[in-house]
Amino acid sequence: MRAEELKGHLDAMLLASLEGGPQHGYAVIEALRQSTGGRLDLPTGTIYPALRRLEQAGLITGSWSVVGGRRRREYRLTPAGDRALSGRRADWLDFSAMVTAALEGGPCPNPA
Amino acid sequence: MPEPRLISSYLTVLAAQLPASIVEELADGLAETHRSYLRQGMAPDLAARSAVAEFGEPELIVAGFARVNPARRAARRLLGIGPAVGACWIAALVTSRAWGVPLPGCMLAVLALAAVIALLATSALGTRYRLAARTGAAGFLGVIALDASLIAGVAFAGVPLTWVVAMAMAASAARICYAVRALRPALAG
Repeated sequence: MRAEELKGHLDAMLLASLEGGPQHGYAVIEALRQSTGGRLDLPTGTIYPALRRLEQAGLITGSWSVVGGRRRREYRLTPAGDRALSGRRADWLDFSAMVTAALEGGPCPNPA
Repeated sequence: MPEPRLISSYLTVLAAQLPASIVEELADGLAETHRSYLRQGMAPDLAARSAVAEFGEPELIVAGFARVNPARRAARRLLGIGPAVGACWIAALVTSRAWGVPLPGCMLAVLALAAVIALLATSALGTRYRLAARTGAAGFLGVIALDASLIAGVAFAGVPLTWVVAMAMAASAARICYAVRALRPALAG
């Protein structure tokens, strides 16, 4: 899956990767790769500006620690990020159910 | 284990354009990526090439950070609210009949305003992180100086404090607060 196909969904995927607890940038990328079965085709370096954007929006918060003599920035979801993730997840489930129904010709389930 | 030369060169390219804190974070991610390839049994040089390739072109990363540059965002906001604050002051000066500023003073104010707008516009449209941060910082200082001069000018000139004048002063004070808050991250860039 390429960057342009992910447009609009990357933020929610990043938030979801932090749902289990704080992660540093590389761990976020690894979590995304694992959760997408390795189908994510995104230059690793481009995830970092996206994390900063989410931080500026108040959806995640970053803090520095020292690991193996190297400074490391870890990110965690804020309460606002948690709410945003729930909202985006619900929106996506509705949207994907609607598109699936339209493509497969079945009935569209009513939104929850 | 020393950092491979390819990774050092890659980070040097990034360090020329991005703040140290961002480069530090990228260096940690790149080192982790390199280590993961080493754990897969790759030779150090091949692992370094693979890590750099996986990270992507430095230009792509720099452009990504330029888009989320806080100075650029603050410059856009200040440009956006500029006409509203300006309208408040025009209304205040017109209703108070406070037009007694001599021509050289007027020209100096117009030139200063034009310079501040140019600095903010350069920051707002900047695709180079450091340039956007520096021009933004200069623009924020300009906004602070202009607004402080307006408030001080009205106070010292003895302009009657009508609600229109008070509103203009409050708008400038709010803009000073915003510019001061935006200054710190811009100076760090």
